Amino acid sequence: MSQKNSEQFIRTCLLLILSLLVIAIVLPMGWIVLSSLKNNNEFFSTPLKLPGRLLYVNYQNAWNLGLSQYFINSVLVSGVSIALTIVFGSACAYGLTRFYFKGQTVLFYLILGGLLLSPQVAVLPLYRMLNQFGIYNTYWAMILPYVAFRLPFAIFLIRSYFISFPRELEESAYIDGCNALTTFTRIVLPISKPILASTAIVTGIFVWNEFLFALIFIENKSLMTIPIGLSTFRDALTTDYTTMLAGIVIGSLPIMILYLAMQRSFIKGLTAGSVKG
Amino acid sequence: MKKILTGFFVLSLLLTLFSGMVAAEVQLKFLHRWTQEPYYSFFEEVAADFEKLNPNVKVDVQAISNDPFKEKIKIILGTEQGPDVFFSWPGEFTNRFIRAGQVYDLTDVMEQGWKDDFVYSQLEPFIYNGKIYGSPFRLDAKVFVYNTKIFQEVGVAIPETFEDLLRVCAELKQAGITPIAFGNQAPWAVSHYIGTLNQKCVPDQIRLTDIQPEKGTFTHPGYVEALKKYQQLVPYFNQNANAIKHDEARINLFNGKAAMMYLEIVEIPEIERSAPEEFKANYGIFKFPVIEDGMGDQDYLTGYPEGFVVSANTKHPAEAIAFLKYLTGKEVGKKEAQELGFINGIKNVVDKGEVKDSIYDSTQIILEAKSLVNWLDSSLHAKIWSVYGPELQKLTDNMTTPEKIMQQIVKTAERVRSEF
Amino acid sequence: MKRGKYTHWLFIIPALLFVLIFVYIPILQSFYFSLFRMNSYSPETIFVGLRHYRDIFDDPIFYTALKNNTWYAVISVLCQVGIGLVLAIILESKFIGRSRKLFRNIYFLPSVISVTAVGLMWYFIYNPNIGLINSLIRWGGAKDFSFAWLGQPKTAIFAIIAMSQWQYVGYIMMLLIVAIQKIPVELYDAAEIDGAGEVKKALFVTIPQVKEMLLVTSVITVIGSFKLFTEVFVTTRGGPYDTTQVLGTYMYRHAFFFDAMGYASAVAIIIFVITFVASLLQIKLSTRN
Repeated sequence: MSQKNSEQFIRTCLLLILSLLVIAIVLPMGWIVLSSLKNNNEFFSTPLKLPGRLLYVNYQNAWNLGLSQYFINSVLVSGVSIALTIVFGSACAYGLTRFYFKGQTVLFYLILGGLLLSPQVAVLPLYRMLNQFGIYNTYWAMILPYVAFRLPFAIFLIRSYFISFPRELEESAYIDGCNALTTFTRIVLPISKPILASTAIVTGIFVWNEFLFALIFIENKSLMTIPIGLSTFRDALTTDYTTMLAGIVIGSLPIMILYLAMQRSFIKGLTAGSVKG
Repeated sequence: MKKILTGFFVLSLLLTLFSGMVAAEVQLKFLHRWTQEPYYSFFEEVAADFEKLNPNVKVDVQAISNDPFKEKIKIILGTEQGPDVFFSWPGEFTNRFIRAGQVYDLTDVMEQGWKDDFVYSQLEPFIYNGKIYGSPFRLDAKVFVYNTKIFQEVGVAIPETFEDLLRVCAELKQAGITPIAFGNQAPWAVSHYIGTLNQKCVPDQIRLTDIQPEKGTFTHPGYVEALKKYQQLVPYFNQNANAIKHDEARINLFNGKAAMMYLEIVEIPEIERSAPEEFKANYGIFKFPVIEDGMGDQDYLTGYPEGFVVSANTKHPAEAIAFLKYLTGKEVGKKEAQELGFINGIKNVVDKGEVKDSIYDSTQIILEAKSLVNWLDSSLHAKIWSVYGPELQKLTDNMTTPEKIMQQIVKTAERVRSEF
Repeated sequence: MKRGKYTHWLFIIPALLFVLIFVYIPILQSFYFSLFRMNSYSPETIFVGLRHYRDIFDDPIFYTALKNNTWYAVISVLCQVGIGLVLAIILESKFIGRSRKLFRNIYFLPSVISVTAVGLMWYFIYNPNIGLINSLIRWGGAKDFSFAWLGQPKTAIFAIIAMSQWQYVGYIMMLLIVAIQKIPVELYDAAEIDGAGEVKKALFVTIPQVKEMLLVTSVITVIGSFKLFTEVFVTTRGGPYDTTQVLGTYMYRHAFFFDAMGYASAVAIIIFVITFVASLLQIKLSTRN
């Protein structure tokens, strides 16, 4: 009986601590959301009170002030970056695992070495290079470097999956009349969907949230992604704080919803990744 | 997957092709630094009007707000697709671009009569080594804007001398009012104080030599003196000056929580637009008080015009110059004065009565000034400002001394000289 | 199998080119640039040899930046890995029932938001006049309380660090939960037979079993700490007076504000050396099994 009581006590204590932490996480977010529904005067004079009237118009304003365009850009840049990373990454992983040739390991380590290099180190020469290629200030100025910096990890991830396939897989495919390319597209890729999904998510999160490259490689408002858009928003709206807050909420919501909808793949991708931001 | 990808490539190829075809007419890229309304729309309208007058020209308007602009412009000028016409602060900020061959020399076109349109004192800042590189878009100078009601209630008068100013501040503070609103999160704000104080404490010839990066030494004791004067003002600023933005601090002036603020004349239209009626009915301006034992000329005014320049890399110099001429000309100037409250550098661009009196009168202060002193931050070499700015913020928090700051500036100036 | 001698290259080359062109070449170029005095907008370059490196090591702000990165690393390892581990153990313990999933998700959520959005959020939360923190303190009784968390040199960098802990504790926790779930149940059963309670089980089974993961998370936290940029850029931009400068913002500022691209490249190379060594360590650790 006392055993059970003390267990109950511990459980209550732990739940209390956990709930306090929940407050610490949720309160700042909640405050931002509530404030984003106020007008500026309310926000300045009574920062802790609930909004008198919910001003959804802030959201409308933020959306119309350019966020809609940033949103489209983010979707486009993320989409293309994910697609290219998956296509080139899985092809390369296939070439590295299903063929046997001299220098294979060296090549793998060469590509893997890219993981050791931080994007910051490359940003200044990249800026010059993109400019020489004539793609500075275009979608490609973001997409190409993103893909390049995500490929080593994607290849690492997909390779470790491919490597577990038995050799017989291709042999039977060959009997069915496949060549290397069709084996890859018809046999290998379809059974690799889970790992491709994880790769896509890790790549997507990185691209969706990336700041430094987008800051330096993009100049036109019409090409900016959400992170850069939000920060220019702040500079432009020096006095209209609540619209700014609405913008932050709109910018953060999609990826949160996506997470809640696809927790499993998210966690799998991120834990396999173990690489932050 | 492959199909989608091919789709993308084909699409992007088509897009490049199409943009190539449209570019048969002249495409001008125009970069300014007003992302806020109503300014942003103003530039779009001006560009649209120009397009109507010149059907073969398309103007692509881009804007980056004030503080990021200072970094972004350097990124952009380093690229192939730089702007044809862009904003710049005259003085060293522009001169570095001129030295790098980035700015189009307008001297020849200016000499064909264009030059005579301007109030010469406002065109002069755009001259470097005897050549004209830009055209003024708006005049500006720094003055104290004060709350007449508060001054009356506390019983203080407009200060004539720096000693007066300190006395006024002390009395205001005693009455429980923040004497001076100050937002110094970006250190250009403090640079306006120090620019003024340096000018008043350092002999003009020495100061003007020092701002030339190849000659500057900053050894004159007046510089230390200026910082000491500034230290005397610090107790009268609001709390957390380094933590709040200029615009945030200005709200306190508007709401009557602070008695005065060192503002730019171009902020007066902002007062007229967004300050509460209470403040609009009760504000006045006065010039920075005289420093009686100061070694600089006490009749100068701190402030410089801002303007636009043409890129030396433009493929369409004729059209770019035409746009610049239009943008900073009389017609747009009138519209600018009436809609934004900014006055440009053209002679008699508006008459009294055509704009609000507060705007017209404050502009006269600029035009009547004996001479103008450029903003400290845009008049110094980047490396010197890179030390000066943060050190001045430190001084605002009482974390360093005037002597220590100037020692560092002297050392930095020495290094800069060695690089020329 | 019908394969040409070079078929594999068709699969490998596109990715290889990407990595070589956009990752390797720029890093070599960074080193090359670091030997010159140059800026972004001028074609002029002057060879200065290793002078930039000497200047960097002479610059007190470089040490401020290095110190801030180090603070960030130390606190992040202690907080994120420490608290993350405790949370993971609690959530995987028998005390927490079905609600564990809810807690887990709430804690994890901030880590999927972009650093930009989080930075801007906290910029407002820390605001001296209208921010959440000061408002709460005022509401709690200190009526005139107005402290500039991001504006005071003593607190600014720690305010930024605190914000990152808020964002990433849940992420590290999640990594550790996954590691804990992989521990064979038999180990716990055996411990239970030996009479171990929950605490002992955590100390003698869980922690030794996730040791590898603890090391890996510590190293990725350290690497992340030296890649810092956005957190500082959107909140303080390195101010007040360079007290919150980190290597990333220090590099950016020199490249584009002070017109010293060569100097900035030298800073980039220093970041490279630090993160490279740390990453090597990570790979060594995570491939040991």
